[in-house]
Amino acid sequence: MAAVAEARPQSRRFRDLLEDRRFLAPALIGPAALFIVLLVGAPLVLAIYLSMTDATAGQLTGKFVWFHNFVDAWHNDNFRRALRNTIVFTLASQAIVLVGAGILAHALVRPFRGRWFLRLLILLPWAAPVAVSTIGFLWIFDSQFSVVNWTLVHDLMPGGGHFYLYRPVNWVLGGIDHLPWVHVGKIQPLNPPQWLGQPTLAMLAIIFVQAWRILPFATVIFIAGLASIPTEVHDAAKVDGATGLRKFWHVTLPLQLPIATVALLFGIVFTATDMTVVYILTSGGPFNSTHMLTTWAYQTGIVSSNLGEGAAISLYLLPVLLVVTVLMLRFARRVEVS
Amino acid sequence: MWSTLRERGISYLIVGPFAIVLAFPFYWMLVTAFKTNGDLYDLNNVPFTYHPSQAAVGEKLPFRHDHWLPFGFENATTSHVSFIFHNTNYLRWVENTAVVGGLVVAITLLFAVPAGYSLARLSGRWGQSVGVGIFLTYLVPPTLLFLPLSRVISKLGLQDRIWSLVLVYPSFTIPFATWLLMGFFRTIPAELEDAALVDGCSRLKALARVIFPISIPGILTVVIFSFSLCVNEFVYAITFVSGTKQHTISAGVPTDLIRGDVYFWQSLMAATLIPSIPLALLYNSFLDRFIAGFTGGAFR
Amino acid sequence: MPENDDGLEELGLSKSLTRRQVLRRTVGGFLVLYGGTLPKVAAAGVPKHVHRQYKNTLKIIQWSHFVPAYDVWFDKTYTKRWGDKHDTDVQVDHIALAQLPARAQAEVAAQSGHDIFGHLSPQAGLEDQVINHKEIIQEVTRKVGKVSQVGFKSCYNPRTHKWHGFPENYVPDPIHFRKDLWHQVGLKPSTWDDVRKAAPKLKALGHPVGLGMSNELDSNMLLIALMQCYGAFIQNAHARPSINSKHTVEALKTMRDIYKNGMTNEIFAWTAASNNQGYLSGRLSLAVNAISIIRSAEDANPALAQNTSVAPIPRGPVQRLGLEHVMGVYTIWKFSKQKALAKRFIADLEVNYQGAFKNSKFYNFPAFRGAVHNYTRQLAADPHKGKYKVLDLIARKYTVNLGYPGFSNAAIDEIFNTWLVPQMFAQVAQGKMTPAEAAKAAEHEFKPIFAKWRARGKI
Repeated sequence: MAAVAEARPQSRRFRDLLEDRRFLAPALIGPAALFIVLLVGAPLVLAIYLSMTDATAGQLTGKFVWFHNFVDAWHNDNFRRALRNTIVFTLASQAIVLVGAGILAHALVRPFRGRWFLRLLILLPWAAPVAVSTIGFLWIFDSQFSVVNWTLVHDLMPGGGHFYLYRPVNWVLGGIDHLPWVHVGKIQPLNPPQWLGQPTLAMLAIIFVQAWRILPFATVIFIAGLASIPTEVHDAAKVDGATGLRKFWHVTLPLQLPIATVALLFGIVFTATDMTVVYILTSGGPFNSTHMLTTWAYQTGIVSSNLGEGAAISLYLLPVLLVVTVLMLRFARRVEVS
Repeated sequence: MWSTLRERGISYLIVGPFAIVLAFPFYWMLVTAFKTNGDLYDLNNVPFTYHPSQAAVGEKLPFRHDHWLPFGFENATTSHVSFIFHNTNYLRWVENTAVVGGLVVAITLLFAVPAGYSLARLSGRWGQSVGVGIFLTYLVPPTLLFLPLSRVISKLGLQDRIWSLVLVYPSFTIPFATWLLMGFFRTIPAELEDAALVDGCSRLKALARVIFPISIPGILTVVIFSFSLCVNEFVYAITFVSGTKQHTISAGVPTDLIRGDVYFWQSLMAATLIPSIPLALLYNSFLDRFIAGFTGGAFR
Repeated sequence: MPENDDGLEELGLSKSLTRRQVLRRTVGGFLVLYGGTLPKVAAAGVPKHVHRQYKNTLKIIQWSHFVPAYDVWFDKTYTKRWGDKHDTDVQVDHIALAQLPARAQAEVAAQSGHDIFGHLSPQAGLEDQVINHKEIIQEVTRKVGKVSQVGFKSCYNPRTHKWHGFPENYVPDPIHFRKDLWHQVGLKPSTWDDVRKAAPKLKALGHPVGLGMSNELDSNMLLIALMQCYGAFIQNAHARPSINSKHTVEALKTMRDIYKNGMTNEIFAWTAASNNQGYLSGRLSLAVNAISIIRSAEDANPALAQNTSVAPIPRGPVQRLGLEHVMGVYTIWKFSKQKALAKRFIADLEVNYQGAFKNSKFYNFPAFRGAVHNYTRQLAADPHKGKYKVLDLIARKYTVNLGYPGFSNAAIDEIFNTWLVPQMFAQVAQGKMTPAEAAKAAEHEFKPIFAKWRARGKI
């Protein structure tokens, strides 16, 4: 009897503990945080340490040289171009993704015939392993066998109808040329554009492929965000008479923002820290004009065995991303509160 | 009536072009996969159709008598597609990818669902800091992390086994999943949960009975997202695992189908296409399930 | 459409049951999918002993050879036979050429991995991580004679007196050109000046020459070789940067002329495969590459192969001097627990190089010339009518190491791997810099790299 009497308050105490935020919150986060600290945090600290040493070739120690590597890297023109490229690449591809995914998600939550199939097509880039699907783009943009160029410069009308796609394209390009400060060339059918061989085009191609790859992912998150808005909210909006754009602005958008922010944040981080697309498409070429910090760090730190400097190069991005992240989180929270 | 037609038209106008651009590379992979080398490398040929060519050594033309086939498909070869099944461990790579992906998804959910819930609902200011902290570790490029991690892997005796990937992949799926779920949990009005608490549910019970069912869209997103991240991962897959039988698709395909300066284009394309289509189907049906809840029964 | 929101009600809790079903079904599907495969994959971690239990295990990793048959011979025949003789289970893993460096560094960081690592370029940067390979060199020298200059200068560090790798093989880098087209323009690519003169005519025929200026291996090799023919070098014999010279300027001018009059801008977009494909498509009239081009042509387009000449690199105003296309270097990690066995394996392979030479379809040339006999007769015996005889001449007389006239060192490595030479050439070809400016800019980039590695005591 006594044992039972004693056991009861104990289990209640345990239950109380589970009800207590101060205990429950850390208990629920703990495992995830621990896992991440061990597998990412510790190596990160090591990476920071390496960036201040003269370590070479996979050695995880070296002579301490303070910020020497960072200074060395900064004085390199190719490094500065890589830094600039990384920023342009990240912002441009994420802008495309954000707008595209926003439009697509809103269009795709409505039912229409054929939606399932179209959505399947849209999901394809995401389902393909990026390391191999980018090789597909290497073939599409090939210097000699590019299907894009073939379509641009060959007669597309059967039976010699003389319809050449590059003509209307050139007409548009000519229009763009009239704008101030912009200079675009025209497509010469005998010397077609080299999508991976001219600095500007190569950047565009890389941005395009990255956007292509992230867009389905962002679309899905946006759709999920829309889908998770509870019915009650819509009902409430209906009662309040909010429809169309007003409802979007005051109801849908704020509710979606936390998720949209996450999608965007991760999109930015994926783009800024992943080198697959650039590495496979151009390896930083032509003449090292499309290097990103990741590829430059890889070529310096891994391929050339200059590990300390490679670590320094890849860490340059950390403060930038840090600032972006904090600003975006602030913004998201403010919108949420209001 | 007119308005539905117009709406449908607008949907097609918006979604159609996106679908074409996003799916074109796959159409192109399909076309390329069945080309003979002679056809592929002939600049005079229309790249969208198949042309007779001098067959290279070992290229079979199984359709050569089927002249009724469109696009000149009678000149297509299946040798480059069957190459990946007969001359590489392709099916094994698919298996490995599926196993790694499945296990990582399970681990991710196990860690991320409680963490996301806690960050969204329970923790105050310090929780925000932990959340930001979890995110920040994510800013480090894997181009670098793989070196220290490979030390960890070898200390644990996991080098050259797919278990190394099962261990390491959650390091990038958990942060994302946690954040995503945190976002989802936040969109759920606290009133729903409070009501359950008032009714006498415990917090964990409220989580299981009320919050969990509503957030299934989010959880499904996490599932397909984590899985696709695993399929995509490349740097760890290459550096931690070296035996061809332990490779995943991302690692095995470039290793065996790019030899020095010769790209086996047709086989590469087939190897990309084959996992993509079923995966896209799977993702799509997942999406269906949770969008069904949103728009089900609505007639626009 | 006010009705539409009614459907949203379905999202409420009433639906949760079906959704749970969905989840259960999905999880079930996963289990069905994985259930069958899990045990199999788990078992894969355990090494399989097909025939018998061996006393030792030796693990080797190297590239997926350009000739697939070589890998089959090496993995299934040679290593098995050697293993039986030495009571060793030899396990060979392959990895794509581009992924070798990352894997090597990962093994160093992990301090475990393969006993023998086969690189495709000299790895001076890894010097501290590998054993001194001197013993193997001595043994092989005793058995088959001296190591070639290419091998010596690629794998020996004169500052530390250490062999940081064992030079197993090197691949001669010839040019391929179309006999018919060059005949039509009445020239032969025997000097760079001939190439310069013929280029516009060949382009007018619709068959430009193909000399890459892109971030890839073939371009890098070709351009440094071109510089050598003009007497321009990245470093001198004492590992001091010597890029800023009038010779470099001349080489840059030549390449600019060839590009402007004889090529299209596709060459800036090239991958390592592009010159192969361009040549195989019948469009290019000249390409510089190892014999992968002609070997592929023999399979895919015999007529083109017939019509192709394989020749040494064109002569420049100073000399005719090409580079190894790739350099097969075996290293043994310091952490390896099978050092003696690994040394044995490498020495045996080199001393009996005959099989490797033949099975690589004459792609690999042994770094110890004496390891193979009768080059001329063997090359002449190739079914393709003596086309390969010239390889011997190229290998003997016109092939030097990267970094010539100095040694292949870590600074050369870094310059090579960050594509600084193609960058210099391309900037001139595109008119972004004059040749003199580009040479100066390159010197500005090279100097700190040399200084850095010198400070570390490696050059």
